[in-house]
Amino acid sequence: MPHIAHRRTGPRVAALLALACLAARAAQADDDGQWTRPGKDFAATRFSELDQITSANVGRLRPVWNFSTGVLSGHEGQPLVVNDTMYVVTPYPNVLYAFDLTKEDYPLRFKYRPDVDPASVGIACCDSVNRGAVYAEGKIVYNLLDGRTVAVDAKTGLEVWKTKVADLSHGETITMAPLVVGDRVFVGPSGGEYGIRGWFKALDLATGKLAWEARNLGPDSAVLAKPGIFKPFYDHGTELAEKSWAAETWKQGGAPVWGWLSYDPELDLVYYSTGNPGPYNPEQREGDNKWTSSVLARRPGDGSLVWAYQFTPHDNWDYDSNAENILAEVVVRGTPRKVLVHFDKNGFAYTLDRATGEVLVAEKYVDVNWAERVDLASGRPVLNPDKLTGKSKGMVQLICPSLEGGKSPASPAAYSPRTGLFYVPTVNLCMDWEARDTSYFPGIPYVGANVPYHPGPGGNLGAFIAWDPAAGKRVWETKEKFPVWSGALATAGNVVFYGTLDGWLKAADARTGEPLWKAKVGSGVVGAPITYRGPDGKQYVAVYSGIGGDWFLIAGDIRSDDPADVRPRADFAPDLSRYTSLGGTVWVFAL
Amino acid sequence: MLTVLTALAGVASAGEPTNPVRGNAEVAAQGGVLFNVMNCDGCHGAGGLGYVGPSLVDGRWRFGGDDAAIFQSIRDGRPHGMPAYGAMLPDPVIWQLVTYLQSQPVPKDVPTLAWP
Repeated sequence: MPHIAHRRTGPRVAALLALACLAARAAQADDDGQWTRPGKDFAATRFSELDQITSANVGRLRPVWNFSTGVLSGHEGQPLVVNDTMYVVTPYPNVLYAFDLTKEDYPLRFKYRPDVDPASVGIACCDSVNRGAVYAEGKIVYNLLDGRTVAVDAKTGLEVWKTKVADLSHGETITMAPLVVGDRVFVGPSGGEYGIRGWFKALDLATGKLAWEARNLGPDSAVLAKPGIFKPFYDHGTELAEKSWAAETWKQGGAPVWGWLSYDPELDLVYYSTGNPGPYNPEQREGDNKWTSSVLARRPGDGSLVWAYQFTPHDNWDYDSNAENILAEVVVRGTPRKVLVHFDKNGFAYTLDRATGEVLVAEKYVDVNWAERVDLASGRPVLNPDKLTGKSKGMVQLICPSLEGGKSPASPAAYSPRTGLFYVPTVNLCMDWEARDTSYFPGIPYVGANVPYHPGPGGNLGAFIAWDPAAGKRVWETKEKFPVWSGALATAGNVVFYGTLDGWLKAADARTGEPLWKAKVGSGVVGAPITYRGPDGKQYVAVYSGIGGDWFLIAGDIRSDDPADVRPRADFAPDLSRYTSLGGTVWVFAL
Repeated sequence: MLTVLTALAGVASAGEPTNPVRGNAEVAAQGGVLFNVMNCDGCHGAGGLGYVGPSLVDGRWRFGGDDAAIFQSIRDGRPHGMPAYGAMLPDPVIWQLVTYLQSQPVPKDVPTLAWP
């Protein structure tokens, strides 16, 4: 049963709202009713100024169109809407559909079918998902699972360029959605479970040629950490991403980049975060393991690292930090700050100064027991020694959150400058963890742990929450039976949207969380809803349905399409397959 | 020990290999350890219940469930992502893995998922 908490009021909130109104007016000028980037804008807010749909009328929302993509895997990511065309990238085999929104049936303008290596399906750890495309200068740019980035002409569907950026034979695939800043296309690899040595690359938008490459691990020369430029807030010295690893374990250290990107045009910094260190057994890689489970800020022009902050030093729990870094202006302890807000798998919600990487606020947004708190002076978590893992520790019981995280990095939050709140899909799971030795073989999983899950306190496996980034507190929450694995959307009509694993698209009041509307969409929702203005001037909402991603692979007998693959239901979520199986549909709703 | 096992490898009709250590509980246990050490569980899940790769303990075999088929799946790999381990693992070691998989119990009611 959903539970709704009442909103707090007070002078601090009034100041917050005043700043929010200023920011909202500034945002209005830039909103053209399109959706050209994964997170809508460079700040990755997933906030739209469109307000025809409001908390008063959203109850009248109804489906107006849907399209079966022809693919059955987790439909993460979101469509784009540019120049009256909707662009959809499917999971492997990464078909690009372009729908003509000016005609009643939304017939295709084109369908682009790249030749993607099927071996990549067996190497992607967590379903053959794709997190979306970006539009820039007449091109749709996105990644293929087998490690290539492609640019397609947005009008004709003809391929403009295709560049290999990742090495499948070493366990690298690509699932992330790129971002374009100026003439730079930014991409990063998946493969933290395969002992990769994570990187971040910039390609030239016109030609696809490599402009620069930075590593997330290893010597400063590869990490592009240059004296005088690289100024991490809490760390000192050189060769941090090499010295914080035992011997040469950084060479298979992980630090993948499979999440969302954001950019600050004033500071000229592109922000991305890295995933887990490998292998899972931390005793095989002593040291902080920088820069795994970290956020990094780089200059788009040459990739120079300006600052970095590690959320989980010497990660013992697969707490990837690939979640989005949403940029906002927040009044913290009386002072307006330019911040970056990040909901980490480790269960802490961080508000950082985005110019320097200083931690301003770090509070638990779900149940957390691996750490007591984050010490703001050192930036480091204060650990609970009972929840450290490693081969010598045997089976460590009931660590919260589970390795799925307090939030999946694949499920992006949204920010409303109107309310000043963040809207976050959360997961309420804990885990046991048994680590063991493992050996590295290229292209084969490099993991070394056995990790059974358990429901977190309360019994609900998830919740959709509103979060105050200055106070570090939940403002309201709606409990959900299953983990909330969708992205979030916030609108100026004071409506927020999210989807559930049992197949509902839901709308709630942004201020109070009051549920306002829902529709069953055929399969669990792991994508992010978007909203746009159609050619007729009306506001539309679009979302993918199609359960999958990490969750699907674990939650028992969801799939139906392979008679040779029958699994028992997951003991921590025995009912999920009662409500959903696989799917793959694009839905559009309107009043 | 490896040479002895090789010498004992049987051959069924049409030249297909058979498991020379089928049913040997000690070998099955060794295979279970190997299943983790070789990171098979990284794709097939703990206990082979299914993860990126399909379940290996449901009594269903996409590419065949006789001794030779399972052996070949491991040695030569299969389409859609099963790597070939033959260069890394000698035949007797592969038979240990086959023995482990064959020793895993298959629930009787595998086809049916029901709720009260």
